[in-house]
Amino acid sequence: MVTTKIDKIAVLYLDMMAGFNVAVIVKLEPDFSEGNVSYNPDGTLNRAETKNILGPHSAIAVNAAFYAKVRHGAKISIGTMGPPTAESMLQQAQILSDADELFLYSDRIFAGADTLATAEVLKCGILKMGSKMDIVFSGHRASDGETGQTGPQTAWKLGMTFLGNVIEYEINEQERTVRAKRLVRLQGIYDVIEEIEAPLPVFIAIDPSYKARFSTVSQRLAYEKYQREAAARAQNFKQYLKIFNASQIEADPKMIGIAGSPTIVYKVERIPKGKATRQADVIDGQDAEQVAKAVSRIRQALSTMVIK
Amino acid sequence: MTDGDYRHVYIVIEHEDGRLLQVSLEMLGEARRMMDDFNKRYSSKEKVVAVLLGSNVGEVPKILIAHGADAVVCADSPELRHVRNTIFTKVISQISLDKGIAEKVEPEYAPQFKRPRYLFFGADSIGRHLSATVMAELESGLASDINKLVVADLQITHQNKTGGKPITYDKTLEMYRPDFSGFLWTTILCLDNKNPALQKDYHPQACSIIPGVFEVPKEDSTRSGTVIEYSPRFDEKDLLVKIIDRKVIKSEIDFDSAKAVVSFGRGVKDSPEENIKMIESLASEIGAQIGITLPLSKRPFSVSQSIDSTYLIPDRVIGISGRKVSPKVYFAIGISGAMQHIAGMRDSELVIAINPDEDAAIKNECDIFVRGRMEDVVPVFLEELKKQRQVVQA
Repeated sequence: MVTTKIDKIAVLYLDMMAGFNVAVIVKLEPDFSEGNVSYNPDGTLNRAETKNILGPHSAIAVNAAFYAKVRHGAKISIGTMGPPTAESMLQQAQILSDADELFLYSDRIFAGADTLATAEVLKCGILKMGSKMDIVFSGHRASDGETGQTGPQTAWKLGMTFLGNVIEYEINEQERTVRAKRLVRLQGIYDVIEEIEAPLPVFIAIDPSYKARFSTVSQRLAYEKYQREAAARAQNFKQYLKIFNASQIEADPKMIGIAGSPTIVYKVERIPKGKATRQADVIDGQDAEQVAKAVSRIRQALSTMVIK
Repeated sequence: MTDGDYRHVYIVIEHEDGRLLQVSLEMLGEARRMMDDFNKRYSSKEKVVAVLLGSNVGEVPKILIAHGADAVVCADSPELRHVRNTIFTKVISQISLDKGIAEKVEPEYAPQFKRPRYLFFGADSIGRHLSATVMAELESGLASDINKLVVADLQITHQNKTGGKPITYDKTLEMYRPDFSGFLWTTILCLDNKNPALQKDYHPQACSIIPGVFEVPKEDSTRSGTVIEYSPRFDEKDLLVKIIDRKVIKSEIDFDSAKAVVSFGRGVKDSPEENIKMIESLASEIGAQIGITLPLSKRPFSVSQSIDSTYLIPDRVIGISGRKVSPKVYFAIGISGAMQHIAGMRDSELVIAINPDEDAAIKNECDIFVRGRMEDVVPVFLEELKKQRQVVQA
């Protein structure tokens, strides 16, 4: 659908009124869905054969940013560090969020970065987005073995208050604060839902269980409007896309890539098969008699007292 | 760099109003073992230093000493009752760099002391984020989700680190990290840049440690140690971040009170919808809670919305990245047995694995290995379970 001029002006006006800016940092990840993912015979991921997509945790972060657009008309900027092929992932992210700007930070010099050096690039990239950000979102962690560190480290470098494991948030525009609920798992003790209030700007790492809720009719109308706009924008996503290299984001070459990484990967090995901790009785699953014996062991185990 | 610049292992302790999270004791135990070896090998006297932030921490320092700490740095303030990232990050960083503390830990090397040699965090809701922000503040390297630690003198040749020349790095911490599949082990090192063009020191060598991996050491109340009180400095603006409410919740998925757990893995892939329904019946027959392996939480199949949102969720993951369970009966259906998963179910009493592949690693971790495809085997089990239930009831 084509957005009319009046719509565009209305959106612009809303943006100016609210003046609320959010950024999202996202990551290109292997697609783990069946049919797309490929594993080597030894059980490890076959990266060459596996497609890459917008990571699922990144998608949740993008959804969280979209909530700020629907509720507050926020301007959304999405950034990623990645190869030139990451463009199409930014298009996916735009479909989900009606992003106003897309940024790809791409440079050979970024390669081989550990999390600290990656966070440095993202910090420089976010500063180059051109708006003073009120909230920056990131996903909880990447699915392909990333660590959940990049978000908090980027936040720290930006000097923003970091809120992790956020399952819900509301913005108070007058007070310029955010109220967020966080899920904190205290292993072996209990889980806690913590409600926290912080002055803007904040950096939010979104918990996987986050779900945006649009309760009123006007929110749902705004939601639909922005979704239509998103679909239209994403068809011409390159119009919204800026590609920056290291010097364009003014990154210090000593702080990024391999040069800026305190850590190195020293070796990669297969985890040796542990010694057998149990001696299994092997039975044939279609032999009813053998199964009957197994089942009586199960019934017996279940009938013993549980003391916990 | 002289030998006094970087000393000791500092450990960030986690607790809830004085109740220690088990991972804290596990880290202490591992640090104790590591530093005892270290001090013997290098004829040194480096210490295990627990870093404790909290409010009214009471007897906690004593407990930490009894579990292996040589010194406990204790920052006790009402502002530190619960973790707020910015405040905690700054206080931990202050403590790490504080020469006055180093002096009390070990007077001999205090004049040269710059930073801790090693720094440990728990790889959980609290430590995962704190480790990241503290290491961003200290500008050094961090390896996350570690399950093995080795100290070694390593000869390294690296373009950036050594300018391509071989250089020996003494007392380097090899940090072993299982990858997400649970089949690969990556060793991560945090190394100073000794290349003249990029000269930079990276200490402490830091990591976050997976809960449940290392043993809790035996408590020894005769051990002695130093308690060092530290008065932190707070920035006014950091105190504007306020915790308004805290509610304790029970996880929706209750593994702890279930006598039995039935878990499934990628083996359901041939017909996920039907197989998961079948597993549902099996679980309800024995009153079991249902678990999954980590790859399943990435929703690799297209199944109906209700199955997807009920079962293929992070809350059900059993293993390093999820829950640890120890039921009376544990079924592993279509699960190959990656270390990642085993760590979460190893303490179960009776383990039954259903798998067509007798070479699968799960065979070493079960009591009954049922050879066969789940499509063929689960119905046989279900029928037999029903039969025997009737016998019991009769």
